[in-house]
Amino acid sequence: MGELLVDGGRCQGHARCWALAPETFEIDEEGYAHVIPGRENSGDEPNVRKAIRNCPERAILERETNEASEKASEVSAS
Amino acid sequence: MSTETERGLSHNKSDFDFHGRSLDNIFDEYQDILANGPVGHSNKYGGFWYITKSEDIFNAEQDPDTFAVGPSMLLPAFGTDVPLIPIDIDPPAHADFRKILLPMFTPMNISKLTPGMRETAQQLCQEVLTAGDVVDVSAKLARPMPTIIFSRLAGYPEQDWPIFDRWIDEIIYERTAHPETAYAAGRELNDYFDRLLDEREKAGPGADASNDLITQLLKAEVKGRKLTREELLSYCYLLFLAGLDTTAWAIRSALWYLAGNPQAQQQLREDPDLIPTAAEEFLRTLSPVQAMARTAKKDTVVRGQEIKAGERVVLVFGAGNRDPEVYEEPNDIKIDREDNRHLAFGGGIHRCLGSNLGRAEMVIAMEEFLKAVPHFERANDDEPWHGVGPLTLKIGA
Repeated sequence: MGELLVDGGRCQGHARCWALAPETFEIDEEGYAHVIPGRENSGDEPNVRKAIRNCPERAILERETNEASEKASEVSAS
Repeated sequence: MSTETERGLSHNKSDFDFHGRSLDNIFDEYQDILANGPVGHSNKYGGFWYITKSEDIFNAEQDPDTFAVGPSMLLPAFGTDVPLIPIDIDPPAHADFRKILLPMFTPMNISKLTPGMRETAQQLCQEVLTAGDVVDVSAKLARPMPTIIFSRLAGYPEQDWPIFDRWIDEIIYERTAHPETAYAAGRELNDYFDRLLDEREKAGPGADASNDLITQLLKAEVKGRKLTREELLSYCYLLFLAGLDTTAWAIRSALWYLAGNPQAQQQLREDPDLIPTAAEEFLRTLSPVQAMARTAKKDTVVRGQEIKAGERVVLVFGAGNRDPEVYEEPNDIKIDREDNRHLAFGGGIHRCLGSNLGRAEMVIAMEEFLKAVPHFERANDDEPWHGVGPLTLKIGA
């Protein structure tokens, strides 16, 4: 489990994450999603898992925090 | 030629179509295509490759450099050969045009409209109830609701609304059998917006402090300049067709399903919190946008099949939405399905701009209809699941 982030290059503003897990995701003025500051570690919560599985652009990523690797990898849908 | 290519072509459907009466049995067709030849070539509409697997559609949408929208995402055209903004515009010009209206369609902005939407839905549902025991709910709710809501948002004067259904019927639904009818209606629609823009420009900005879509387009700048009249007309033309027809179909198809499934109807009445989840399932399985076109910009290969630069490609969202590799029991409509990453609004840079509005209208229409109408069933089994034609229901039976 790593730090949640929304890949701004992939997000297209479907806002499914906000509909399913509004306690973790917010939408900016152009409609793009972001993780609410302080909620980067909520990836285990059922609503967030559901948001990850339903993101049409597969844009919700998880960054490994315990490794030197800064590369974000897509969270498994399962 | 690879084995996979040979197998695909041996099951090729050269008459594959996704319009009109072809939609009657298209779900059986999808199942066959997905199992036996998920990429193939149809001779319809000048010829096109069809792509049906969810993963292949997703990949194509993420790759606009290979799968361009120009000359048109619509196949056949929507009563005009002018590229429609923003759906027929490729990068790099696309982003600037799309950005103009993005803030208007955020979920927060749409939620400001929901009290008005609910009031409209309630009024229309009351009219359904007073119309008798057998009622066409397409004419009474599914079509007027998006017309009223989108027209207010866009800034179309109320006296003009009665003519809108005919333009939609002729441009969208007559275009396959009678393209000349679609083009004639397209010219009328274009002239209508030309007059409307004249009036709005004459009235000047800020006269009534209105903040509708037409005002936004008139104020907008792209690369430091205002939009030309041609660009404004193109944008208005697209918004009109996208804002009215798709939502009407979505509401109608949801009611069509519920009218035939009293158990689902009862479940949603008892647990209205489930309605947004059910709406996603109806969008997945009965979506108003079954397919959209692209054009290959360079030679490419999809699932072993070569596609040449310049060839037309159709992304069959409706088939991808029933792909057994993605969905359990894909052809079953489960109103409580939770994992539902579907393609009804498309994806990538051309994702439906109005998806948050369309969803809200659909959910509110279902909520208010189920609240107002105690029980309903289909009165005419010949009426198909698709389109915006009549949906005759027996009310309160």
